[in-house]
Amino acid sequence: MSHWMHNCREITRMVSESMDRKLPLHQRIGIRVHLFMCKFCSRYRKQLLILREAMRLQESFVQDTKPSLTLSPEARERIKRSFIYSLNKSQ
Amino acid sequence: MNETGTADNRHMPDPETWVDRYGDYLYRFALSRLRNRVAAEDLVQETFLAALHARENFKGHSSVTTWLAGILKHKIIDHFRKESRERPVEDVEPFTPAFDDLFDEKGKWKIGPSKWTVSPVELYERKEFWRILTLCLSELSGRLARIFTLRELEELSTKEICKVFDISTTNCWVMLYRARMLLRRCLEINWFSVENYEGK
Repeated sequence: MSHWMHNCREITRMVSESMDRKLPLHQRIGIRVHLFMCKFCSRYRKQLLILREAMRLQESFVQDTKPSLTLSPEARERIKRSFIYSLNKSQ
Repeated sequence: MNETGTADNRHMPDPETWVDRYGDYLYRFALSRLRNRVAAEDLVQETFLAALHARENFKGHSSVTTWLAGILKHKIIDHFRKESRERPVEDVEPFTPAFDDLFDEKGKWKIGPSKWTVSPVELYERKEFWRILTLCLSELSGRLARIFTLRELEELSTKEICKVFDISTTNCWVMLYRARMLLRRCLEINWFSVENYEGK
């Protein structure tokens, strides 16, 4: 049973890894047992889940709330020019 | 992902109007991943050119915005791949970091994580949070930030990420672990501690 007992440092690494791949059963049980007893590691796991969701929300946040974040007039002109050039060539 | 409010987004508009219609959306999309203005502009330009040549492939199954963003996404991954070939061993993380400032010699928390009470949907309303998240991301080293972005934003598997950066899967897990540990700590110090304090 002793290999099921992990310290907090190991658990933080395992919890992170569990978000990237399916861990072997004994490790998943090890995490469960530890989280049941450890308030800090449970909070850590919740924090990582919030972080993941926040990263995914960030995209819509940037698009919704930063209409001021635009191409500079110079960049827009440059992109347009090269685009129209290719467009005319392809027609 | 949010769509820009273009009416009839499944109908392909005249290519001459593309840059004005979708340029800023694609620029924001690229910038939030690359965090580099010049690279973002270049990839937006490449995306429009690639889209022009591939426009027959657009079947209207998705919106034009989504279709263009899909092309841009591939350009961004290619960009990361090229960049990592040019600077192969910039900051590879061969060992699991110990985080001695957070854990004692027995591996127990010295500074335990605090309770984050808000949900991400609630966070959406708080502009300050997103500013701090951007700040925390910018403090990660280049490759760490890129790997984390591909994993959490593009939802690439670690296998795919390994190919892009030519690193081992173990290395990838370790780097993601490091990124998450640094980010959660950064958010806790800069945002959640202030938030909790004000809440009392």
